[in-house]
Amino acid sequence: MASSPRTGRSSPALFAVVIGAVLILGVIAMVVLGFDPLRVSQGVISSFFPPQAVTDRGEHIRQLYDLVFGIAVVIFFVVEGLIIWTVVRYRRKPGDDELPPQTHGNAVAEVVWTVVPTLIVAVLFVASWLTLNTVDAASAQPQMKVRATAAQFLWSFQYLPNDYDPVTNKDAKPLLEITEPEGPDGGLTLPVGRTIHLYLQSPDVIHAFYVPQFLFKRDVVPGRINSFEFTIKDEDAGGTFHGQCAELCGEGHNKMHFDVHALAGADFDTWLQQKIAAANASPSPPPPQPSGSAGSPPPGASAPPAAAPLSLVAKDIAFDTAALTAPANTPFQIQFDNQDASIPHDVAIHEGSQSGAEVFKGDVVTGPAQKTYDVPPLKAGSYAFFCTIHPNMAGTLTVQ
Amino acid sequence: MATTALHPAARTYRSTLYEWVTTTDHKKIGVMYLINSFIFFFIGGLLALGVRSELAQPGLQFVTDQVYNELFTMHATFMIFLFIIPILAGFGNFIVPLHIGAPDVAFPRINALSLWLLPMAGLLLLLSFFTGQAPAAGWTSYSPLAQDRPLGSVGPGQDLWIVAVVLVGTSSILGAVNFLVTIFKMRAPGMTLFRMPIMVWTVLVTSVLGLLATPVLTSALIMLFIDRNFGGAFFDPRNGGDAILYQNVFWFYSHPAVYIMVLPAMGIISEVLPVFSRKPLFGYKAFVFATAAIGALGFSVWAHHMFTTGAVYLPFFSLMTFLIAVPTGVKMFNWIFTMWRGQLVLSTPLLFALGFLSMFLIGGINGAFSAAVPVDFALHDTYWVVAHLHYVLFGGSVFGVMAGLYYWFPKMTGRMLSEGLGKIQFVLMFIGFNLTFFPMHQLGLAGMPRRIADYSSTAGWNDLNLLATIGGFTIAASMIPLLWNIFVSLRSGKPAGDDPWEGNTLEWATTSPPPPYNFDHLPEIRSERPLFDQRHGHAAPAATAVIPQSASTSH
Repeated sequence: MASSPRTGRSSPALFAVVIGAVLILGVIAMVVLGFDPLRVSQGVISSFFPPQAVTDRGEHIRQLYDLVFGIAVVIFFVVEGLIIWTVVRYRRKPGDDELPPQTHGNAVAEVVWTVVPTLIVAVLFVASWLTLNTVDAASAQPQMKVRATAAQFLWSFQYLPNDYDPVTNKDAKPLLEITEPEGPDGGLTLPVGRTIHLYLQSPDVIHAFYVPQFLFKRDVVPGRINSFEFTIKDEDAGGTFHGQCAELCGEGHNKMHFDVHALAGADFDTWLQQKIAAANASPSPPPPQPSGSAGSPPPGASAPPAAAPLSLVAKDIAFDTAALTAPANTPFQIQFDNQDASIPHDVAIHEGSQSGAEVFKGDVVTGPAQKTYDVPPLKAGSYAFFCTIHPNMAGTLTVQ
Repeated sequence: MATTALHPAARTYRSTLYEWVTTTDHKKIGVMYLINSFIFFFIGGLLALGVRSELAQPGLQFVTDQVYNELFTMHATFMIFLFIIPILAGFGNFIVPLHIGAPDVAFPRINALSLWLLPMAGLLLLLSFFTGQAPAAGWTSYSPLAQDRPLGSVGPGQDLWIVAVVLVGTSSILGAVNFLVTIFKMRAPGMTLFRMPIMVWTVLVTSVLGLLATPVLTSALIMLFIDRNFGGAFFDPRNGGDAILYQNVFWFYSHPAVYIMVLPAMGIISEVLPVFSRKPLFGYKAFVFATAAIGALGFSVWAHHMFTTGAVYLPFFSLMTFLIAVPTGVKMFNWIFTMWRGQLVLSTPLLFALGFLSMFLIGGINGAFSAAVPVDFALHDTYWVVAHLHYVLFGGSVFGVMAGLYYWFPKMTGRMLSEGLGKIQFVLMFIGFNLTFFPMHQLGLAGMPRRIADYSSTAGWNDLNLLATIGGFTIAASMIPLLWNIFVSLRSGKPAGDDPWEGNTLEWATTSPPPPYNFDHLPEIRSERPLFDQRHGHAAPAATAVIPQSASTSH
């Protein structure tokens, strides 16, 4: 080969000098550009670790991660270093005309690099099995039972009575349902320091319940009730943790966010009582359970006013009409009938198109259910109405 | 037997379009496999650029959620089913008969069928873009999302996807049978199993995997097709089916498929490293056993893609997944010690082989994180997994493919590729690859799920995503020197001669490109390096060697 003998006698030392120079230049560049090298390197190091766990199980997972990471780093540097060293050291140099020794192998070496990795993975397996037993453990009598329902494309949360059981008592009426997945009034509010058993339910496709700060996710599988247990650590009371669907579930997958709020035990009890009282006091009936087919509630107390309300039906992820007409400058009503079982819909009205300014947004209704929306007076013009969860469900509202 | 491949019309290598379309010559078919695969590599690459462009910044700038789902679904589909699997089959097609001293594969016409099924499948997939809704349920097409239902996969796009993947599977099955019969029945005299090049061994194990696993995928897809079109209820819980069953059946193929996608690349590396180290492969038999072990273990780890479903016996699949690291580690050390105390010639094929070693190492290490089940609970379906699979399939397989391309291009065409352009390509691709995929580890740890079109600007993922996008375009840029290199070299490249690299294996004993019947005469085969033996006087000169029956009768 012609190209081989032309390189000079550059040694591994030169290679080390080049690497060193690049590193030093990098640090100088950071300083010049106004970065603090210490903080940057701390940031880089912490980016190799998951976020601080806020649950007891998350802590165990984090310890296992640290073990795996430690072993991984050692293996990486040893083997990668061996590769680089070999390449630099054994390049063909001018005068290398004789063949190198034609070694065909070494049985001892083969045994060593079979046995040593086997031992390493045995250690890793045992460690992860032990951790798994802790993480997947379920207590006979958890202190709280909660259910997360993932429907395309909205999370809702049900606080279950203690006698709920996914097999023997699956239709137990929830104490409270939260249909807004995010924000201070929405999401999953939980007490710290209590064992929480979270059931997962989906009426449509597979989703996944994922909270990065739990270091945990579990799939929400239709036709199957998955569950897991955890306790939020006391010091995380007052925190809000962001969660997101982690299993591709369709067009709105990336919009399936939710919040988890952690409250101190006493605060949580107050919160729960207030919420239950508020739900019972509200004139309109509570939203039906996703799994229940126990009769859809009647339209409710809101009787139709003088002006005839508009009718809008949602069925099979579509509205029954693409055009509505309403009078200008007077309040009007939309009688919304969601006939899609277990699927949440709502109606929003925006000026002009969906990207226009919002003038009305109705509550989410999980079908089968009906709701009457009171829409404020609108100026004459053309508006877009659509379901914010399924923006393909859309039409034009003409106000005249 | 092989006379169909030696039709008198096949006088010359370069011939008419008709000749190429109707050929049954394994070398032309192999080259067409490569061309077809590269076309879909570039299509898949463009889709990937679409994905990276959208993710460069928070907010939806270029596509809608639906189109984004189509982008990554089709990216993966093209890359896996129409690039990596076929291109490695293409290398196998070109090189296996040459490696074992055979005039062609056992069933040349079936071989042509295997090839031509692929562009058909690719066209069906491309057609799905014009059906209103291209497949958007991910390359895994999990049920019920892939069912025909509102907010699922409505319309013919998903059906076209199913048919296309079944066609690719059929091509794989036929190819596997062909390789197995060829390897077992058509080896030249003296070419015992343990003298076969490692490349042939990897194709052998890959073929066993393909033959056993692909029918399972085919059955899963046909059931999904029945669910969608004829009211079946295999995988749809609404009708009493089981969503998890689909995953079990799908991954029973698709995990072995990962080895189908990487073993032949390991074979390529195992050919390149000894030649450019001027040493034999260290631990040949250990290598064979490790390859077989990976193939066998590959059937017992499918459910490690399903740790978070809550429907898997976790410790078993965790153990098997960890164990598969052992034979892989054996290979890694054998490769390194092949170079140890050698005389490394840093030509482009070796550079890409070194890229394979160093990147596949990362792909193996970050895979071990997911084998630890509780850690997988944190990392599954995040960008960590995207990083892992690309370190295996790009850092591993694609670097292996490039090594193979630079190594065998002279044999395929009779022309050398330019070393300078090759090195530019390597440097760009290596940097771009790491820029793109390394930050994804950190994104995954920070909690970014895969398959999302958008993310909050306050999530802290902006910088790393921008970096990954810059890397993606760097990879794209590295394709320019490659294409230019091929174009220039085909027109005016340096003539290769029979053996430009001082090769070890039989393909270098014939002309470049080889005649349709492959060999005028074969050197004596007394080891896995017959040409080395001949060059260094350990074997009889070629002229006196035995000429295999099938080759001599067809003159």
